[in-house]
Amino acid sequence: METQENLVHQEFPGNTMIEMIKVSRSYPPDIQALSNISFSVETGEMFFLIGRSGAGKTTLLKLICNMEMPSNGLIEVAGYNINSLKGKDLALLRQRIGVAYQDFKLLNDRTVAENIAIAMEVSYKKPRAIRQRVVDLLDQLQLNSKHDLLTGELSRGEQQRVALARSVANSPRLILVDEPTGNLDATTTEKVMELLTRQNKAGATIVIATHDASIYENSNNRIMELRDGVIHSLTRGNAQ
Amino acid sequence: MNFWFAVIRQTGRNLRQTWSSQLMTLLTVSLSVLIFAFFSLIYSNMIGAGDRLSDELSLIVYLDDEPGPAMQEQLRRKIQNFDDVEAIRFISREDAYQRFADQLGEDSDVLTDMPKDFLPASIEIIPLKSLRGYNQIKLFSEYLDKLPGTEKVQYGQEWIERFYHFIRLLTIVVTLSGALLILTATFMVAYTIRLTILGRQDELELLKLVGATNNYIQTPFLIEGILQGLMGSVTGLLALFVLFQWISIRFTGPGILNLFQFDFFSPGILIFIIFASISLCSLGSYTSIRQFLKI
Repeated sequence: METQENLVHQEFPGNTMIEMIKVSRSYPPDIQALSNISFSVETGEMFFLIGRSGAGKTTLLKLICNMEMPSNGLIEVAGYNINSLKGKDLALLRQRIGVAYQDFKLLNDRTVAENIAIAMEVSYKKPRAIRQRVVDLLDQLQLNSKHDLLTGELSRGEQQRVALARSVANSPRLILVDEPTGNLDATTTEKVMELLTRQNKAGATIVIATHDASIYENSNNRIMELRDGVIHSLTRGNAQ
Repeated sequence: MNFWFAVIRQTGRNLRQTWSSQLMTLLTVSLSVLIFAFFSLIYSNMIGAGDRLSDELSLIVYLDDEPGPAMQEQLRRKIQNFDDVEAIRFISREDAYQRFADQLGEDSDVLTDMPKDFLPASIEIIPLKSLRGYNQIKLFSEYLDKLPGTEKVQYGQEWIERFYHFIRLLTIVVTLSGALLILTATFMVAYTIRLTILGRQDELELLKLVGATNNYIQTPFLIEGILQGLMGSVTGLLALFVLFQWISIRFTGPGILNLFQFDFFSPGILIFIIFASISLCSLGSYTSIRQFLKI
């Protein structure tokens, strides 16, 4: 019989990357952030999660990457109940999930390059490969000149792109992005979406939480709208 | 990049970022080892001196009258009833006079007018090495005091008593100082690691989120503990060795220190101290990791 650890070592199998069944999340004293959320995301899909601030988008992403635990319900990522994984199994799964957090979670006393490299270092990639990948990503996001700057010295828009670069650095099979274009101008937004589209075409499943309609309305990807912690609609974009 | 390369690089980063608190901890560990090892060195040398002194230990039983051959045999049996002894020598009044005269040397003429039997007959007993603890000697002397015809038993009671009390006091000092210094060193290491962890909470949280294994996060802190233990104990022992050499050179020549032969720790003991220090510092580090990383 295969152990869970062995399974995590393999490429993610199956057609469904994320499966949520009747998931709820509440915070004390009586704040209901999410109620009875059920949906699935197919492997290789680009999926948009929209809704106003406070609708529950960030909470949903945190549940998918096991940063928080649901109050009720089942969450499976690549067929694994993510809340039952512990220790090495959980670490290995997380190495295959890239997350760009809304608050960036950058280390301000480290350089841009070091911040991006951290995601690859934990999976013991070769230093040369790490250096090359960091340079490539900075080039794609027009941050070449920022390679050796401390992230604390960057603008918010630049920090956002560094966080995004870190999330894709390890070529993860699942990428969760929280408001990727919130602090960016139109040109940079386009660059960011190009990067994410490239990752998607390379086989990564991508979930983007946003309230920037410009990045999803002209796509043919599925869009799930949350309102007050419940699913309001699940539609497809206008591009056909 | 393999696990150990990544871990060693992370340890290097930790040490660079928290070098001042690391230095303070190193100093505390070194001082703790130095103080503890200093008392231990005195203690082990005192025990050695005690062993050497006990090699020369003999009990003298002064008798009322000079025993005849039958009485001598009876006394010998009674002495051996208590325990086997290394040697029993009967010293007659005349032998005692002769020994005294020999000890006086050129001044022996002061004995000219004295009768040759003015000194009491005695028995000189050399106990076995296994019977040389202070309490055992005391019990033996009390037993000898009750033998028929015994006037007095002498074995340098006061001196031996003081020496053994000193050794007992030293044992307490070494044990207490050892326990306190061990606790201090362990807590200091645990506290430094704790400060490091608290100061790098954001980074550690991020490492967990990007998929660092528990070993990847814990091992650098454990290595810090091992390094603190190793470098602290080596520094402390080196300082003690320098102190020992200085004392040896400074007090060479006639003096009270020359009554004793002072030796430094054997290689076995040195390795034991270093190993113990590494173990304790690693323990301090490990408890902090478990308590504060919550992984």
